[in-house]
Amino acid sequence: MDTREEMIVLDAVSKVYNRGRANEVVALREVSLTVAAGEMVCLRGASGSGKSTLLSIIGCIFPPTSGRAIIAGKPLSRLPDRFLTVHRRGHIGFIFQQFNVLPELSVLDNVTLPLLPLGIGPTERRRRGGELLARLAIDHRANFPAGQISGGELQRVAIARALVNDPPIILADEPTAHLDSRLSLEFLEIMSGLKGAGKTIVIASHDQLVTECPALDRTFDVRDGRIDVS
Amino acid sequence: MNSSLEKQLNLLDYALASLWRRKLKNLGVMGVFAAVICLIASFQFLTASLTATAEELLAEAPEIVVQKMSAGRQEALPLGYLSRLEGLHGVRGAVPRIWGYYFNETTGANYTVLAVDPARMPGNSRLLQGIEGSLPAGEGEAVLGSGVAADLELAGRSAFSLFRPDLSLKPFAVTGVFRPGTELLTADLLFTTPAEARDLFAIPDGLVTDLCIYVANPAEIGTVAKKIAALLPDTRVVTRPQISQTYRVIFGWRSGMASICLLAALAAFVILAWDKASGLSVEERREIAILKVLGWQTGDILLLRCWEGLVVAGLAWLIGCTAAWLHVFLLEGALFKPMLLGWSVVRPELHLLPAVTGGDLLLVFALSVVPYLAATVIPAWRAAIIPPDSAVR
Repeated sequence: MDTREEMIVLDAVSKVYNRGRANEVVALREVSLTVAAGEMVCLRGASGSGKSTLLSIIGCIFPPTSGRAIIAGKPLSRLPDRFLTVHRRGHIGFIFQQFNVLPELSVLDNVTLPLLPLGIGPTERRRRGGELLARLAIDHRANFPAGQISGGELQRVAIARALVNDPPIILADEPTAHLDSRLSLEFLEIMSGLKGAGKTIVIASHDQLVTECPALDRTFDVRDGRIDVS
Repeated sequence: MNSSLEKQLNLLDYALASLWRRKLKNLGVMGVFAAVICLIASFQFLTASLTATAEELLAEAPEIVVQKMSAGRQEALPLGYLSRLEGLHGVRGAVPRIWGYYFNETTGANYTVLAVDPARMPGNSRLLQGIEGSLPAGEGEAVLGSGVAADLELAGRSAFSLFRPDLSLKPFAVTGVFRPGTELLTADLLFTTPAEARDLFAIPDGLVTDLCIYVANPAEIGTVAKKIAALLPDTRVVTRPQISQTYRVIFGWRSGMASICLLAALAAFVILAWDKASGLSVEERREIAILKVLGWQTGDILLLRCWEGLVVAGLAWLIGCTAAWLHVFLLEGALFKPMLLGWSVVRPELHLLPAVTGGDLLLVFALSVVPYLAATVIPAWRAAIIPPDSAVR
């Protein structure tokens, strides 16, 4: 039996968009899953299967319509938006499909964006950002505009930004969709390293390179808003 | 440093960078806004300056002026009235004066001709203290203001002639000029003796245009004026505070009318600002969604937007007010001076005194920056509540 702390607990979670309206969509139907601290899991599913909605609930972007969601020890149901945000910035690091960096900002400024509303001064921001960029071997690009660096470098900027608050949970949404196989493997290698450092990692993907990654502890198949464990 | 203050500095820093990233759009908005503020501030400054200039000019004026009225119009006043005022309690001195305007058809300029007996003027008169040369005393003698001297193109000569009403020439000899620094009072002035002025304007002996009354106690100007009005019922008694108040009302009324017109322009700009702030581009929506996913609160985005608005409006206010100051005090309010002063061609030029108070600046701030911020706060809030999941999808 796994005795590690339960980092993500979803119990009969459902999500309905536009509830009660003509355009009502049921995105998740009574999904239950548990992810322990330090686990690396994959949400596998086709486009529109509910992966992103599931990731959004785990990422504290919105609460479920029904069911129980406990993320890093905090129950999300009926939590107001501002508390969700505070919980998210303390516990969740996001890596987006298209990296979602701001192209006009420098690499370093992109990485330290989550620190601005925390009232952390420029010296400390530079120190933290610089350390992460060095760890990911792109510190030589720190002052480049993010729009002028390569896809592989962008991916590492996105990872550095996800880690800058030192969150226990890393969520990645289709992180290899725009990468070639070499960069995809490189990404998985970094994720494995983070797993080794104790981070809980959830990757939503239908890329075979990801779903067959040996570092994964489990893979959840998401179909029509329901989940199967494989 | 306090983390709340650090957070505000971080947001301000980000707001400046964000404005710079969209510099063309923001510079355009700021430019139009600064132009509107410049127009409004110009009126405000010009009004304040004209009022201050009028006050400065009036400081040299007698406390009370008595003019004879007939059929509602001013006419020459008999010198005999003087003896009836001399014993009046509270009157320090009464000086007969001839003054009027001489229009020089050759140059198109108006001169102010002033004639009093210097010996009867108050000892502290800045007018008499500001003369380089000697006071006019003999036949045809005059002291000229710098504007009149330049207009007559004397070029070293000390003699010139003006036309009497019957078009005969009246020769004058220049005995002095008013010193630089007194232009405000003297630029368009030709100062001479009552006899010479009478000759120039063909005013009969024993008549003057008005009487200047100097009062011992300035607090009693109103009381003394009432006594004079009762004593000389066919006269108009004008006090210095009344003239000052009239200037204020005229400048204030004209400025107010013009400001109302300009406020329409400001309202149009505020509507434009509202429209601009509510119409977010795809990039802006995406940026807000990303920031929110990264842990920015709705309040943080709102603060960011407010900082952006404050920077744009504050800079526009600063630029607008500076441009207005330059317009009013370097260019003599060229755009609006005719509207506030009237359109008659009066030369030499009146030089305005810089007189801008904190109250004027605050008024312009309240009329421009505050409506702009108000117009951008609601769109800013609407921008801030964009659901963050749009960045994830």
